[in-house]
Amino acid sequence: MQSRIWIEGAATREVQHMSFELMKSLRAGLIGGVVFAASSFAVLAQETLKIGGLGPLSGGGTSWGLAAQRGMDLAINDLNAAGGITAGGKTYKLELVFYDDLYSAQGGKAAAERLVHQDKIKYIVGPVGSPPALAAISVTNPAKVIALTNGYAPGVLKNDTPDPYNFRLYNTNLEFGPPIIKWIRESLKDIKKIGLLAPNDAVGQAVAKPLAEDYKKEGFEVILDFFERGTKEFTPLILRMMAQKVDAFEFDGNSPGDAGLMLKQIRQAGFRGKVFQVGGPAVDEIIEIAGPASEGFMTYDFVDWDMPKAKLLREAYQAKYGKGIISPFMPAFYHGVYLMAEAIKRADSIETDKVRSALENIDGFDIGIYGPVKWIGKETYGVNRQLMMQYFFSEVKGGKIVKIKKFTP
Amino acid sequence: MLEFLSRLEILLNPTVLGQVIVNGISLSAIYILVALGFTLLFGIMRVVNFAHGEFAMLGAFAFYHLTKDLNWPWMIALPAGVIGVAAASLVLEWLVFRWFYQRMFESMIGLLGLNMMLIYGGVLLWDTHERNIPAASQEVLMVGDIIIPIDRLIVVVIALAALSAFYLFIRHTRAGLAMRAAAQDVETAETQGVDTRYIYKVAFFVAILLAALAGSLWGQIYAVSPHLGERPLMMAFIVVILGGMGSIPGAALGGALLGFTESIVGTAFGAAASAFLSFGVVIVLLVFRPWGILGTPEN
Repeated sequence: MQSRIWIEGAATREVQHMSFELMKSLRAGLIGGVVFAASSFAVLAQETLKIGGLGPLSGGGTSWGLAAQRGMDLAINDLNAAGGITAGGKTYKLELVFYDDLYSAQGGKAAAERLVHQDKIKYIVGPVGSPPALAAISVTNPAKVIALTNGYAPGVLKNDTPDPYNFRLYNTNLEFGPPIIKWIRESLKDIKKIGLLAPNDAVGQAVAKPLAEDYKKEGFEVILDFFERGTKEFTPLILRMMAQKVDAFEFDGNSPGDAGLMLKQIRQAGFRGKVFQVGGPAVDEIIEIAGPASEGFMTYDFVDWDMPKAKLLREAYQAKYGKGIISPFMPAFYHGVYLMAEAIKRADSIETDKVRSALENIDGFDIGIYGPVKWIGKETYGVNRQLMMQYFFSEVKGGKIVKIKKFTP
Repeated sequence: MLEFLSRLEILLNPTVLGQVIVNGISLSAIYILVALGFTLLFGIMRVVNFAHGEFAMLGAFAFYHLTKDLNWPWMIALPAGVIGVAAASLVLEWLVFRWFYQRMFESMIGLLGLNMMLIYGGVLLWDTHERNIPAASQEVLMVGDIIIPIDRLIVVVIALAALSAFYLFIRHTRAGLAMRAAAQDVETAETQGVDTRYIYKVAFFVAILLAALAGSLWGQIYAVSPHLGERPLMMAFIVVILGGMGSIPGAALGGALLGFTESIVGTAFGAAASAFLSFGVVIVLLVFRPWGILGTPEN
């Protein structure tokens, strides 16, 4: 058993798995007592460094939180299997402590306080969404705890914190939106009017409005309409947009479940034009839900499963969690743990000031999943804390995802 | 005002109006089906089944596995899955539900707990991602410029058939008569020889059958996940409050009202206006006529 996980909410499968692993270890120990004792001594000789994780493990965002937790778990297993991480002359075995942030500000704050004040953790990956991320950094920054968060809201990075310790883990629509929209204008010249559907909450507003502005800057006419989270029947909205003669639909930061249903219902309503999602990469889940209606769907994507390390990661994930759909949050959080570990190694210390400096200078780091990454964001957010990685615009052709344009940072 | 009129103008387009009506019928059919079992359990056993949506979820997963894993044709998989879930749920009736009969407030808390257990049991068993049940048909029917997806048409036909069968069962069978008697006055029904324990089991079986059927069709039109039941449960609440808790014609009327409101208002004014109006009407109704449009006031 290479990592220990504190479970909140729904994800007790790991507990069962770990119990099974423990039983196997004990049985092996009884058979080969000497070997077991020696290896146990070796493990005890290492110190433990806890890494915190935050994500929704209950409610509608559970799939995102589980993916984040599993990505972190796999990363910690891989790092421990490679001998742990060494800093300041000590070797540390990593241990994951993951809490449910309920995908809410209140939940994010409570979970972050628990990690920081109760568990005394100095390194956190997550939360996944903007409401818990904004709340969590209000706890982590004053405590000088490094947080690699997600959350598309600009306020995650652009805030009044004088000396922040938080970074954002991957591209948001403010980074990838303008280049992709420019490409759409240059490549799909028949499209003049875009119908943009977005959830009517803080996240939906934070993502959809800047995206609509980006489309307008490129000369598109935009019709933006909001729906309540939990809506399953989008046909009235779709009909409304079709009556206004939109040439294409845009799903912005919608969840895969919503985007898949919208796509299915758009095709059932007889719309034959282009449908995009310049946001929220989850094309596998969308194909699963929309089925044949997903043909021709175009989307932002940032995982290239053909890259060598990505292939291995997918195999490891499937071996442990089955062959279901893999959320892009899984590799992103896997990558987050590796970023943190690399910064600790480079700092040669577990003091957060030193690790933060090392993290700030990590440009070019490449673990074989996203290519070399770099920090940007000074112009947009006032701080260079926005990680930028390669991304793609992909299209579903014959039920497969085909990358049609690659963008490099 | 001009904005208001221009939005209404969308509905004057015959193609859009036709599409809105088709969509309203299909939404109403699903909402009625979801609400029927919910109102039946309340009407007869005075149980507020907060776990109702999760039986819809179980029906959808049964349908999913029978069609996707066993490759059964949907016409066999649908009834087999629905009956299987309803039959298996009798275990829960014995373990949980029977303790809450005629105890409305306790049932709310107890069944809310069951609801959470079933959702997160589902998460452990199936994971959280959404799945697709292959549509009964990918074809669309063109009537002039109006497009009618065949799979929606099938849902409407099945919902109407289920509603008719349910009505015939309640009105023209001895078990149906006994259920109506028990719904009116349990003690009097028992003194007249009605075996209420048996009648409760039958009513429970029928209610879960309808929920599982609604969930299967819901899952086929939308998607299947352990969280599938949350939306149908909310819809069932709105429908039965509109129509009247415990009233079967009320469930039909409430479902139709909600389905058409969502289709018409949603198309003209957007989803926020539709949700605002639906819940606004529910609040007004609870203030001025808490027993609903076709319900009867509690003594």
